[in-house]
Amino acid sequence: MTASPARPATLPPELPEWDPQWSRLVGAACADGVRTFHVLDTLPALRAQGIEPTGTILALHGNPTWSYLWRRLAAATVAAAPAAAAAGERVWRVIAPDQLEMGFSERLAHPALPAPRTGDWRRIADRVADFDAVVTQLLAEVPGSDAVSGAAEAPAVSAHPVVTLGHDWGGVLSLTWAARNRARVAGALTLNTAVHQPEGEPIPAALRAALAGPLLPASTVLTDAFIRVTLELADRLDPALARAYRLPYCARALRGGVGAFVADIPVNERHPSYRELQRLGEEIAGLDVPALILWGPKDPVFQERYLRDLRARLPQADVHRFETTSHLLAEDVDYAATILRWLRHRFPAGRSHAPARADGAQNASSDGAPAPGDGARLIFDALDARAQDGSPASVDMSRTPAQTVSWAHLSFVVDRIARGLQLAGLRRGDRVSLLVTPGNDLTAAAYGVLKAGGVAVVADAGLGPAGMTRAIRAADPQWIIGEVPGLTLARAAGWPGRRVSVRPLGALPGRALRVETSLTALVRDTPDGPIATPGLDDDAAILFTSGSTGPAKGVRYTHRSLGALAGLLAGHFGVRPGTGLVAGFPPFALLGPGIGATSVTPDMSVTKPRTLTAAALADAVAAGDCTMVFASPAAFANVVATAADLTAGQRAACGRVELVLSAGAPVPLSLMDAVAQVFPAAQLHSPYGMTEGLLLTDIDRPGVAQAAESGEHGVCVGTPIPGVELTIAPLTMDGTAAASLLSGADAAGVLGEVVVAAPHVKDGYDRLWDTQAQSARDGSAAEDSDAGAGAGPGAQRHRTNDIGHLDAAGRLWLEGRLQHVITAPGGPIGPAGLEAIVDELPGVLRSAAVGVGPVGTQAIVCVLEPNPAQGLHPGLAPLELADAVRAAALAALGLDVAAVLVAREFPTDIRHNSKIDRSRLARWAAEALAGGAL
Amino acid sequence: MTGASGLLGSSTARALLTAGHEVTTLQRRPSGADGARDVLGSVTDREAVEQAVRGQDALIHLAAKVSMAGSAADFDRVNVEGTRTVLAAARTAGVGRMVHISSPSVAHAGSSIIGEPAGPADPARARGDYARTKAAGELLALAADGPDFPVLVLRPHLMWGPGDAQLTERIIDRARAGRLPILGSGLMLVDTLYAANAVDAIVAALRAVERTHGESLVVTNGQPRPIGELLTRIALAGGAPAPRLRLPARLAQEAGGAVERVWNLREHDDEPPLTRFLAEQLSTAHWFDQRRTREVLGWAPAVSIEQGMAVLAEHYG
Repeated sequence: MTASPARPATLPPELPEWDPQWSRLVGAACADGVRTFHVLDTLPALRAQGIEPTGTILALHGNPTWSYLWRRLAAATVAAAPAAAAAGERVWRVIAPDQLEMGFSERLAHPALPAPRTGDWRRIADRVADFDAVVTQLLAEVPGSDAVSGAAEAPAVSAHPVVTLGHDWGGVLSLTWAARNRARVAGALTLNTAVHQPEGEPIPAALRAALAGPLLPASTVLTDAFIRVTLELADRLDPALARAYRLPYCARALRGGVGAFVADIPVNERHPSYRELQRLGEEIAGLDVPALILWGPKDPVFQERYLRDLRARLPQADVHRFETTSHLLAEDVDYAATILRWLRHRFPAGRSHAPARADGAQNASSDGAPAPGDGARLIFDALDARAQDGSPASVDMSRTPAQTVSWAHLSFVVDRIARGLQLAGLRRGDRVSLLVTPGNDLTAAAYGVLKAGGVAVVADAGLGPAGMTRAIRAADPQWIIGEVPGLTLARAAGWPGRRVSVRPLGALPGRALRVETSLTALVRDTPDGPIATPGLDDDAAILFTSGSTGPAKGVRYTHRSLGALAGLLAGHFGVRPGTGLVAGFPPFALLGPGIGATSVTPDMSVTKPRTLTAAALADAVAAGDCTMVFASPAAFANVVATAADLTAGQRAACGRVELVLSAGAPVPLSLMDAVAQVFPAAQLHSPYGMTEGLLLTDIDRPGVAQAAESGEHGVCVGTPIPGVELTIAPLTMDGTAAASLLSGADAAGVLGEVVVAAPHVKDGYDRLWDTQAQSARDGSAAEDSDAGAGAGPGAQRHRTNDIGHLDAAGRLWLEGRLQHVITAPGGPIGPAGLEAIVDELPGVLRSAAVGVGPVGTQAIVCVLEPNPAQGLHPGLAPLELADAVRAAALAALGLDVAAVLVAREFPTDIRHNSKIDRSRLARWAAEALAGGAL
Repeated sequence: MTGASGLLGSSTARALLTAGHEVTTLQRRPSGADGARDVLGSVTDREAVEQAVRGQDALIHLAAKVSMAGSAADFDRVNVEGTRTVLAAARTAGVGRMVHISSPSVAHAGSSIIGEPAGPADPARARGDYARTKAAGELLALAADGPDFPVLVLRPHLMWGPGDAQLTERIIDRARAGRLPILGSGLMLVDTLYAANAVDAIVAALRAVERTHGESLVVTNGQPRPIGELLTRIALAGGAPAPRLRLPARLAQEAGGAVERVWNLREHDDEPPLTRFLAEQLSTAHWFDQRRTREVLGWAPAVSIEQGMAVLAEHYG
């Protein structure tokens, strides 16, 4: 018997971004009779265009939203349908019911307000059954989408895949339905949700208040405070959209369902839904279909631990974290585009879908051992090979007195740390955050972790405490190895992971920092024994980008790619056993053991490499009998500035150096010439690379001199290092990079995004599925089946976000960053080419070329750094200088410069203090040239 | 061609004659274009109009009332009814195509324009009688467009050049008197059109209208410049000192009349207007997307702003 509704389901009124065609009222046979649901269903909209869907997304909202949450996915799928149908690609139908007593679905009559352990309100189990009743009925409307594959073991290779999607409570409910309908489901997607409340952990503070018995009805039913607070979790929700979300809950009588959801949160084991949630958590863990987790990390309720739990249950899941978003990420980012790309990737039309492949962690291949003769190596092979060698492996002159570690001793320490960590419980694939200053301790810790099969997570202090915290949370390490400052920050910011200090800390500080043991103790106390070493395809390291174009991204390297990097360094720069290298940029010392070179860290501040003096560098050369010097351009600038202080002996030491390598930024010829004065016998090289591919091209001093004569524009970074494939994705008129790639003669002179492929390029971005998929695009059909499939065997493809061109001689010229492209009516322009010309003009310190106005018809603006000594004050540049800039731009590049402005100041990045934030200057210039404030 | 007595009209007539066309002009004073057949009269005079258009292959309608003085009815009479008369006479006479000269002000409600294409003419939103009636006239011309009578509308934007008494010489004169103000920061980007390029564009339109018609195109040099720099360069080219007077833009815009007083605007017939609209243009950003214009006309400015400034300096130097 069906109880009469307190209010029947209704159709929503006209709402922003909502097509009335999507709204359906559906009666479904629920456990307590036929109930009517308001359902977002795009089938009528598709059929109105004469298109039949070939895939279905079943989406379920949470509390206190309604299917309005999915409107942009509905719009995106309907908008994409005609082109997809024409191209023979998959057309997706979206079915998204409003849950009962939620949104515009039916309201039931109840004798009392909802409460945690009493009453007749719907609970988790009822809601899964409701969902089943509605979608089963609607799926039957399209032949094929209601197919049951029969064998639950085989993936649902259906002509019409059905996937689930959820958010908040809708996440756990839809995953449960998927798990219980394994034969009908081909994939599962979720936004922020929680499947399991870990025992013994407090529930999030934000919910605790709402759950405190008497407060519950007050906060969720009697007022709409809960709804308002939830909507404020969006970054900036348009008031009209917020009103649409609140509309179905505008009266107390309509909000019972909101309170019932909150009352159904099983806060402890006595709760009626506790057991059900435990059970469905286990069921979800058995769900082996391709999965996508989209996550807003700033969510105050569904925090990192729920993502961790979800990843453990769905280890095959692709993860994409939208780093700056919170609970309502669906309002803050274009999640629909990411979902459509993922569906296209996993469920290409006309083919059985690709097997699930984790983007993330644990590419657990148990048989990744190097095959003899394939050249593949593990990063600690060189160290192992010299386990009996008493000669110096690492000299740290920044310590007083200088500390020398032999190969034999380093090998012993590394093995003890590796085995000690394994005995302490470190498992293969565990992530270990290293908060250790560069030097011998870091070298030992890093190689110990790598040898034990741990993944070294390296977030450098250049990211700042907030950036480091965000990076560490994203990487979610199981362990932290740190010195006191790092451990203190970890404690204060609540970073995850078991703690190991470098040295013993004593009982009190150790307990305060939650430290379990120390590397010293591991080396001292660990009994000898076997070490289970990682395979080549296991993850080895997570490094972070500088974050100059948004939140720092984690970059994942496998042992195979790290080994390839070591092999490349040794091969390209001729490192032989016994070679000594000075690490004038202290992190370079980490590379020494990997390539079998003795590394010497000069006496310098490890956090301020630009304080390196010529004398300290020369002493380091002498101490290690070094023939190679690695440092950054800033450090070399100071070396040149202090070269006059060198003694005759120090000069002689520098005279024996054969190779000088400057990395981090291009080196101007003038600095190269000055460095050559200090190291008269050395070849000077300046390689180009980035966190995602540390060594891509190389140019030496004669190369820089030749490039300066060539008349090409941009910054020349030389030719590809052997093994690196360099291609160009041409820029389109709107300033984006094309999907297709050009190489060889076709690429010469074409401005585009620089795309590289090499065995030592990153394995992927970490927990950024979409970013990784985009960065590995190569425009080929093959990429639909797996990211980066078009790259050669063993090579990973990476779109660098740098733009530039290749010249006829095959040299790469950089012209800026993709997001800084100027889209003038005549075509896209790389700013660095123009800047290089303007920077040469008398009176100009530094310039930035930016575009103002709409994409495709932008005006070119040259912004100059203020220079009061030259009479350059913020505002319009003097007429003569403007004349000179315009004449140079016209003569060299045929470009019309609309305005020459002097800025207030030049914004640059924190890590390098050299990358100009052109986007900010562009906004400033656009404002000024529109008549706004200067 | 109607309205051939001003700088633009007479220059265009000469260019057409040089290109070997037979040119008939209609305006109240002689055109001054040697070789042209001048019909003297107003576009409001139906008989004069009919006499002028008889036997013509093509029509360029440039005549308009642009002065500040005069009642709304005067503007309507010339810019709306005059256009209606010209259109009717041209259709009757079997004229084969038409280029209608309009103004960017027809689609302008006073706010900044940053890289936009030509918007639709809108008499209801246009500011002032000139813009309102030019908008209505443009709509009439476009309404008459069809396969047997193709119409293309050009909206030249802020013309300047040697001999231009309306904008160029006023700027020079006022700068010389030390009374040329720079409004606001002077950084607002503004599009302009060197006069010789405007002539080329109209000649190109006479061919283009046979391929593409029924639309409106803003015509500029495609070289936006900060207004302060532009005024300074015109003043210097004219031998005057660089302007030093500065006025807060908001003050100037809020008191529209004050702007006119500052500029000491006095108007003459048959020339581009120097109105409150123009004063607003000189204190807000105004530059346009020229891609469609160049595509349709198959034309690009032959003289850059820098080259034009050099000619200006030579002319007034």
